Amino acid sequence: MRRLLATLVLVAALAAGQVATLWWAAGARQDLPLPEDHSYVLPGPLLRVVAGEFRGLAADFCFLQGLTAYGKLLESAGPSQARDSDWQRVYRLLDAATDLDPYFFDPYYFGNAVLSRNPEMIPRINQLLEKGLEWRDWDWLLPFYLGFNHFYYLQDSGRASEYLMLGAQRPDAMPLLATLAARLAYQENRTENAIVFLRGILSRTEDERTRELYQVRLEALEKIHYLEQAVLVYRQHYGEMPGTLNVLQERGVISAIPEDPYGGTFYLDADGSVKSTSELTYAKGGTSNEIPAN
Amino acid sequence: MVSIQGISKTFREGLSSRKVQALQRLTLEIASGEVFGFLGPNGAGKSTSIKVLLNLIRPDDGKATILDRDVSDRRVRRQVGYLPENPYFYDYLNADELLWFGGRSSGMTADDLRHKTPALLERVGLLEARKRPLRTYSKGMVQRAGLALALIHDPAVVILDEPMSGLDPVGRKMVGDLILDLKHQGKTVFFSSHILNDIERFCDRIGIIAGGRLRLVGELDKVVPAGETLEGLFLRAIADDFGGLPS
Amino acid sequence: MRPLWPLAVITFKEGIRNRALYGIFLLALLLFVANFLICGMIMQEVGKVAVDVALSAVSFSGLLLVLFVGINLLAKDLDRRTIYMVLARPISRRHYIWGKFLGMAMLIVTATAMLGGCALLSIGSVRWAFPSYFPRFAWSPVLLALMLITLMLVLLAGMSFLFASFATSSFVTLILTVVSYLIGHGVAAIKALVESPAAVGIEVSATTVRVVKAAYYLFPNLSLFDIKVQAAHNLPVSWTYLAGTVAYGLFYTALSVTLAGLVFSRREFP
Repeated sequence: MRRLLATLVLVAALAAGQVATLWWAAGARQDLPLPEDHSYVLPGPLLRVVAGEFRGLAADFCFLQGLTAYGKLLESAGPSQARDSDWQRVYRLLDAATDLDPYFFDPYYFGNAVLSRNPEMIPRINQLLEKGLEWRDWDWLLPFYLGFNHFYYLQDSGRASEYLMLGAQRPDAMPLLATLAARLAYQENRTENAIVFLRGILSRTEDERTRELYQVRLEALEKIHYLEQAVLVYRQHYGEMPGTLNVLQERGVISAIPEDPYGGTFYLDADGSVKSTSELTYAKGGTSNEIPAN
Repeated sequence: MVSIQGISKTFREGLSSRKVQALQRLTLEIASGEVFGFLGPNGAGKSTSIKVLLNLIRPDDGKATILDRDVSDRRVRRQVGYLPENPYFYDYLNADELLWFGGRSSGMTADDLRHKTPALLERVGLLEARKRPLRTYSKGMVQRAGLALALIHDPAVVILDEPMSGLDPVGRKMVGDLILDLKHQGKTVFFSSHILNDIERFCDRIGIIAGGRLRLVGELDKVVPAGETLEGLFLRAIADDFGGLPS
Repeated sequence: MRPLWPLAVITFKEGIRNRALYGIFLLALLLFVANFLICGMIMQEVGKVAVDVALSAVSFSGLLLVLFVGINLLAKDLDRRTIYMVLARPISRRHYIWGKFLGMAMLIVTATAMLGGCALLSIGSVRWAFPSYFPRFAWSPVLLALMLITLMLVLLAGMSFLFASFATSSFVTLILTVVSYLIGHGVAAIKALVESPAAVGIEVSATTVRVVKAAYYLFPNLSLFDIKVQAAHNLPVSWTYLAGTVAYGLFYTALSVTLAGLVFSRREFP
């Protein structure tokens, strides 16, 4: 009996030691530097060989790694300060996941939602979506995303219209696609079209956090649309352009200039369109001019 | 010397709740220097009794001692040599290494071992094969290696579970001679068998067990009445378990 | 130590002569040769890939060793009743577990030393062939990584002892050990994920968090022993971290084997 008691005391001591050293070592591990090029992801074709019969599982794993990499990116720097390599890593992992299993919808969906926070990633996103377009040939959402990206980020209404036409032909597509495709044939009403687009996407997005991403953009666009309408009213009334948005307020066309949900300030561009200093992304601190203008 | 006092043991059969009583209040005393033969049909409880003596099985009830020490004290086994039924040893060791393990773990010095190992291997006829891995041994050779392992540390009590099984006539003679040798050296030998011939040749006393109960115990020449064979006695002793004499 | 040593020695000998070991070494050798071929296809960071492949080969072969040779050493004793010849000696059940474990640890250390030697040779020869592609290379972190791999394997062996002490067959032990290995390597990452789910946009229930936290302390955190990335890029590994990890490994191993001894001392061998 005493022997058993002694053993149990020993076991308790060892268990305590185990937990204490786990804290110690796990804490110290967080301080270890990570390699610069930790973003290296094996190319998809090679992964396919390595994964063997577990391709699906490997795809799931790559996707989860992508989620984690995006989490780390947000945690370490936030979307505006994150390095290019961090964004590339998220993209590569999603790319690898879809190389392993090109029918896997989640990486496309997730990639489209989060990578667009960095406008430089748009061509990459489109590349990813193109791959999905080919494999998931029944899915109208992917051409829909592609259409939006071409229309909104790349200012290519022609291409956008083509994608939407393609999407509209796929089974169960929202009727909106055909309408939008037609509307995009006209270069006018850019902001309004974007709002219709986003509402369409939102109606198909259930995940709360992804909705938030789209909702903020929608909110900003609605405010811009509101301001653009005010400029139109002003022009009809006074026969000239207002010099700045403040003039609209001074003359009582609007009660106040709305706030940009991205944290920038709205202003009237020389060509008469309304823009924001944030350029409607969190990226690059809203200072660069890389985002295409209207 | 070896004492078993009112031991009972019940096993549960697999995961079911069916219980099998392997031993029922078994009591047995074996004096120093005695060769005791333990007889019984298969499944009678011979091996279970022996495993209780080796502390491989713990009895539900009762007490077993060797040299006045409880068998759960590991130091008892320094004085005990044991040959399991159908012994099996490590595949990739050779006889030398097996005996090295047996000797060292029983507290022998390396010097002692160097002298004793070849002599003992010679005695059991394995001197030639001492460097060969045990997996290449025949069944009889394994049995003999097991016997050497049981004797390497010169134990006072030797417990052999079916030492003759699987041996050819030459092997049986070798083992028989060894047991007689031990008897002359004044060792206590406890061995189980179902081969009556062997029992008759070596034993001072016998015990007959069946159905987990001791049916008969006594000195060989006294328990076997004049004009009767051990075989007849054995069959009568276990008869009530089989509902009469088997044909 | 006295009652443990003879058993440890024969356990070691039995293990090192096992035929399965040849197979494992052959596989490792193939991987080391493959290292050459893989490195030939790499454009820039040949050094990193060479170290990656070599260390992974050691880790993987070691894992096979623990799973197929190590578990067998204990399980065969129980299955074939070779344990009788050990317990018939003045060796208690606790001694048996510790002696067997000591032999197994010696086997693992010897095998990883040999595999590690081959790994170093493989890295060295790749380096000799492509000397200009090893800009950030040093031997010491590779040696440290090998040491932690060894410790991880010893810990895993300790866990397999715990499972074997109550499992009824070697197959159950094998499955439980594989499961703990998989959980052990993923648990830290999963814990990090469920603790800040907002960052990646997933939702986690409170029960999941509790289950993951329990698993984090219950299962060995094997990812701590993995510094292959640091070795491949010659990044500094702090002494605090090393000391903590080594202490953790020793504590966890001692705990597993002590518990195994406790469970084992109640067992019978009919």
